Amino acid sequence: MSLVNFTAREITCKIVYYGPGRSGKTSNLQYIYGRVPQDRRGKMVSLATASDRTLFFDFLPIDLGSISGFTTKFQLYTVPGQVYYNATRKLVLQGADGVVFVADSQARRFDENMESLQNLQENLLAEGTDIRDMPLVYQYNKQDLPADLIMSPSELDDALNFRSVRSFSSDCLHGSGVFETLKGVSELVLQKLAAGAPA
Amino acid sequence: MRALEPWVEQPLMTFLTESEARLTLLMTSAGQVVAQHGFTRAVDIMSAAALGAAIVSSTEEMARVLGVRPFRALTHQGESHGIFLSAFETPRGRWIGLVVYGQDTSLGLVQLFFDRMVDELTQGVPAEGGTKQVLAQDFESELHSSLRALFGR
Repeated sequence: MSLVNFTAREITCKIVYYGPGRSGKTSNLQYIYGRVPQDRRGKMVSLATASDRTLFFDFLPIDLGSISGFTTKFQLYTVPGQVYYNATRKLVLQGADGVVFVADSQARRFDENMESLQNLQENLLAEGTDIRDMPLVYQYNKQDLPADLIMSPSELDDALNFRSVRSFSSDCLHGSGVFETLKGVSELVLQKLAAGAPA
Repeated sequence: MRALEPWVEQPLMTFLTESEARLTLLMTSAGQVVAQHGFTRAVDIMSAAALGAAIVSSTEEMARVLGVRPFRALTHQGESHGIFLSAFETPRGRWIGLVVYGQDTSLGLVQLFFDRMVDELTQGVPAEGGTKQVLAQDFESELHSSLRALFGR
């Protein structure tokens, strides 16, 4: 849940990058970390295995500056994508204000995308949140791969984007679509916050 | 010291004076910072809070898996510093305290004064008001320019 400090006029929001293993969640954060000025971001914390697979989460705090007179900070988290890490995925999802679902565009990974999306829905529900109420955007990653290996954004929209929310094509290793996605989810999160918050 | 709401300041200040802790963070169970003392960069505070909340959540989940009651507190004793972590209920939800202390105090003192601080915090919570408009209607244009400035696009 967003934390709003009316005294210091600060807003802190939590955004979680969700999706199947190796879809590019950590790469999103690494790209953002590399491009955001040092004075506007903290250290990137990665709790990973020896082979650099996310074990618990990656974490990157960024400072968006002043919006409507509020210093606005975002905490970006990734979850471990591998199926057997569901317990830790649930923990990271707690208190999320927005979710980026990072899908792997490769046709052979379609089932994993579906499974991960269903898992997101279940884990949100376990927290008492209906996925339809959660600010959510989709990112279709690896769109740089040869066309015969991947599904197009419109095919992925048809298959995964049941709410018809905003979706973004990306190649997060090279940065295409990364900031557009973050901007998209940021807008949704702050729009929801703008509707009112506990005083 | 920095606190999200003024009523948190006095109990935290008393705890810091009595326990002689070096760093203290109070956060929500999701890792959002409520109050802090001793950290310098805001973004580093957020990292510490995220890690602290993760340790507490994973330990509580471990207790659930083992079928035992949640652990009351967690401690890590290093050569020159110790870390004390404990979750507690407040009328504002579940909070977590993360305390880093040095050789000039002890785990026992930290725990003793931490418990007192929790009592003061839970008794001193003011009633919550209704809802308040957070952002101006035109916040989106400011968000766009902020993101443009930050991400260069």
